[in-house]
Amino acid sequence: MTATVTAPPPVQAPPSRGRRGGLREGRAAWILAAPFCLLFAAFTVWPVIQSLYMSFTDTRQRDLRSPFAVNFIGLENYTRALSDPTFRKAARNTAYFVLVGVPLTLLVALAAAVALDRGISRFRAAYRLGFYTPVITSIVAVAVVWRFLLQPESGLINTVLGWFGIEGPNWLGSTTWSMPAMILMATWRNFGTAMIILLAGLQAVPTSLHEAAAVDGASAWRRFLHITMPLLRPTLLFVSVTTAIGYLQFFEEPFVMTRGGPLDSTISLSMYTYKQFGFGNYGLAASMSYLIFIVIAIVTAVQFRLLREST
Amino acid sequence: MRRKSALAVVLAAATAVALSACGRDDETSGGGGNADSQDISSGPASGTITVWAMGAEGEKLPELAKEFETANSGAKVQVTAIPWDSAHDKFTTAIAANKTPDVAMVGTTWMGEFAGQDALDPTPPSIDSAVFFPGAQKTTQVNGTSYGIPWYVETRLIFYRKDLAAKAGFAEPPKDWDGLKAMAKAMQDKAGAKWGMGFQAGGTGSWQSVMPFAWSNGAALTKDDDKSYNFDTPEMLEAVKYYQSFFTEGLADKAAPATPTTEPDFVSGKVPMFISGPWEMAGVEKVGGAGFKDKYDVMQIPAKKTSSSFVGGSDLVVFKNTKNRDTAWKFVKFLGDPATQVKWYQMSTDLPSVTSAWDDPALKSDTKLATFGTQLKTAQAPPSFPSWEQVIAQFDTEMEKVTKSGADPAAALKAVQQQAESIGTGQ
Amino acid sequence: MAIDTGRSRLSRWVLYVILSVALVAVIAPFVWMVLGSVKSEGELRQSPPTWWPQTASWDNYTQLFSRLDFGTYFLNSTIVAVTVTAGNLLFCSMLGYALSMLDFRGKRVIFIMVMTTLMIPGVVTFVPLFVLVANAGLIDTLPGLFLPFLVSPFGVFLMRQFMLGLPRDLLDAGRIDGAGELRIFAQIILPLCGPALATLGILTFLGSWNNFLWPLVVAQSEDKYTLPVALALYSTGQNSTQYGLLLAGATVVLLPILAIFLIFQRRFIEGIATTGIK
Repeated sequence: MTATVTAPPPVQAPPSRGRRGGLREGRAAWILAAPFCLLFAAFTVWPVIQSLYMSFTDTRQRDLRSPFAVNFIGLENYTRALSDPTFRKAARNTAYFVLVGVPLTLLVALAAAVALDRGISRFRAAYRLGFYTPVITSIVAVAVVWRFLLQPESGLINTVLGWFGIEGPNWLGSTTWSMPAMILMATWRNFGTAMIILLAGLQAVPTSLHEAAAVDGASAWRRFLHITMPLLRPTLLFVSVTTAIGYLQFFEEPFVMTRGGPLDSTISLSMYTYKQFGFGNYGLAASMSYLIFIVIAIVTAVQFRLLREST
Repeated sequence: MRRKSALAVVLAAATAVALSACGRDDETSGGGGNADSQDISSGPASGTITVWAMGAEGEKLPELAKEFETANSGAKVQVTAIPWDSAHDKFTTAIAANKTPDVAMVGTTWMGEFAGQDALDPTPPSIDSAVFFPGAQKTTQVNGTSYGIPWYVETRLIFYRKDLAAKAGFAEPPKDWDGLKAMAKAMQDKAGAKWGMGFQAGGTGSWQSVMPFAWSNGAALTKDDDKSYNFDTPEMLEAVKYYQSFFTEGLADKAAPATPTTEPDFVSGKVPMFISGPWEMAGVEKVGGAGFKDKYDVMQIPAKKTSSSFVGGSDLVVFKNTKNRDTAWKFVKFLGDPATQVKWYQMSTDLPSVTSAWDDPALKSDTKLATFGTQLKTAQAPPSFPSWEQVIAQFDTEMEKVTKSGADPAAALKAVQQQAESIGTGQ
Repeated sequence: MAIDTGRSRLSRWVLYVILSVALVAVIAPFVWMVLGSVKSEGELRQSPPTWWPQTASWDNYTQLFSRLDFGTYFLNSTIVAVTVTAGNLLFCSMLGYALSMLDFRGKRVIFIMVMTTLMIPGVVTFVPLFVLVANAGLIDTLPGLFLPFLVSPFGVFLMRQFMLGLPRDLLDAGRIDGAGELRIFAQIILPLCGPALATLGILTFLGSWNNFLWPLVVAQSEDKYTLPVALALYSTGQNSTQYGLLLAGATVVLLPILAIFLIFQRRFIEGIATTGIK
């Protein structure tokens, strides 16, 4: 990446290049960070503190107008949540969804992005837009079409499977096959976002590097592995982290298609938490949200380690 | 480093102080007990009031509001239409932040919750509650006090294909439980139906299909003078067993999806019976096309002891922190007036909650609507406990196991009752 | 892009075929949605769903436009979405730059704050945020609709990651030339961020334009509604849905998104391949 820039380092280092970057950098950095910090302080800090506080109390909906007239109950909400069998089922469903769904979505997105970036040269815009449409299509339309696709007798998926002699299951009515159906639907729905972000990252890989390597006789696959992938790392980390964060909170697909059924086989942590908010159990629901946060934080930290940036 | 530890100490101290400041007073929960509500004045209304109404009602209400304004010069009614989608969230956040309107239309199953948050104003004595269907009036009652009036109602009947029933040998609709099951079976055997009855196999909202049978068997959902839940009763057990039998005997689809294709199945004859409310008449007629309305009819829930069903709809409430209580209640009273109710039916096809409005020829002439009217007389509402939604969700989950996996109804009801008792009524 | 020759022609064709099949599969619901918006209610409720409209009519659209005060809602949605997008493009790139390129005290803390906000489920802060905004007197105002979203941690993270892929030497070169830190940001680094800015722009606009729940609770009078809220008004009922109106509304809502997508994609992405970084 630094192959072409050869500006020689200055002989006398300017005094601002100190140990911590120095005064000039620091001042500029704080000017640049100011808008975020102000808005963050105004609109994020207080709600987070208040909701965190709620998770340690027995706040119900009626207490919201008098937030201090509640009992402090420590970790009781958290332990209640963790010992709730439905919460545990939701946690298992969510883990299943994330462990299969995130790699699948990233794989499809990466394949599509590479194909559109390097593989073809015409009609790129059309394919790009087309692959992005699931993201912007109304969930109602998505639900109707997917319900039809997944119908046991006349649905398209089972019809196609039938051509290969496989008898497709009752996707939405079966406790084993409802999750795979959700994963498929979510992958279809979300790979477009990951794809356009990866495309942006791929665009920043200079063509000159590829040309140089091709001249040296490197095959397309090797070029991909040794030039593209390393440069794509920060973007890959981003896509992986944001997709995982999104999937750990998956909500829409089961909410619209199966309502968490059949028999709680597709209920997600987010759906269950949302239900608890709906019942007015604010303290409990807040604790569930923060449990989800802890899981997200751990998963994100793991990804940061695995896809560690070289800086 | 010293700065950091000093900061930590300050934070810890602040947290300790804050936590010690919290704690409940032993006050009685809001929404209970006090029935004395200041009456509204006689004479015309004045001032401005804000009204929230959902969906199509919100769209059409301004017309009626204009009439009110003409009759009460000096009064102004500002109607804000809000979507049904997430309307509950809109109300709960507004209550939490004290940003409620003066008057609002509220779903009947939300009444317990909102009254329990001490957000609603009790109905003034001069508004007569006897003019409404008893089941509907009960939806406004929380802990003995009435909050608001029922505005419009709906109830659930069994929709059935008249022509297929005739083919199956049933010229008249059945009047009892055995008759219903026999008709479902006959429709499968003789009229080519795949599933005789389109019952929901448990899951969210399935209680609205099960409770009509429980109520028709005389089950009471509360005990101890309306102070606690009462699921584990012989009457309820009989109803649940009856409901389950449709699934075990192959008359209803265990594997039906969460959002079934009710209307096309009804029109095609695949599932020629289902339970629903008056809005489905328009639904099936749209899919069925011209002439379909003669092919189907609605019947009352068959009786075991009496025929009863679920009554829903929307109530009109006035919020406690209204700045113009007098005008607000006057507007509510206006909307509950029988003449206004008839006019509202003609504008919106919402069924009136005032019984005398049903004498109007517009409602009497339609036979299907008349059946709804008859059922409304005996229809019942669930108890308006704040915890209703959470408790009945447990019921729905158990019903799913009962219908899909053939779980034991007695054990299921015991589990529901246990859960209901541990959750409490929330009052 | 003609690096390979000969045998790759066939693989190129195969790729086109695969992509086209994938495209058809992916785009089907979108096409169904648009076709559905001209169908009648009865046809929309049929099962299995029909593809080509049996009787097409513009009824759904005329109903929507006559019942809705379309101009107001469109304007509100536009103001909010444009403000949020502009705010994010500017502020997220500023902070992203600071986090990726500069060294300063508090850098770690700020980055952790950003990531933490990103990871907290939005539902838990929803009501406290609403109460906060209400106490600030911002209920039923347009600023109340966009202020809390002017900077998103998602955007900061995106810009930071993208900028990490740019060479640090550019900074040194700029400093040698005597440029101030902020000038380096604005005139050297930012122009190179075309793809990332375009992507962030599209995603932010999409999120803001489609946002339903926040405008629903913040707006108290109909003239502050945004488009998604207004459309839900006419299509969702207590017990039934008007599918025709819903699909027509959904199609109308996404036309501006398509426009933004095409504009942003074309202006920034096609251009970058030629500039090269050096």
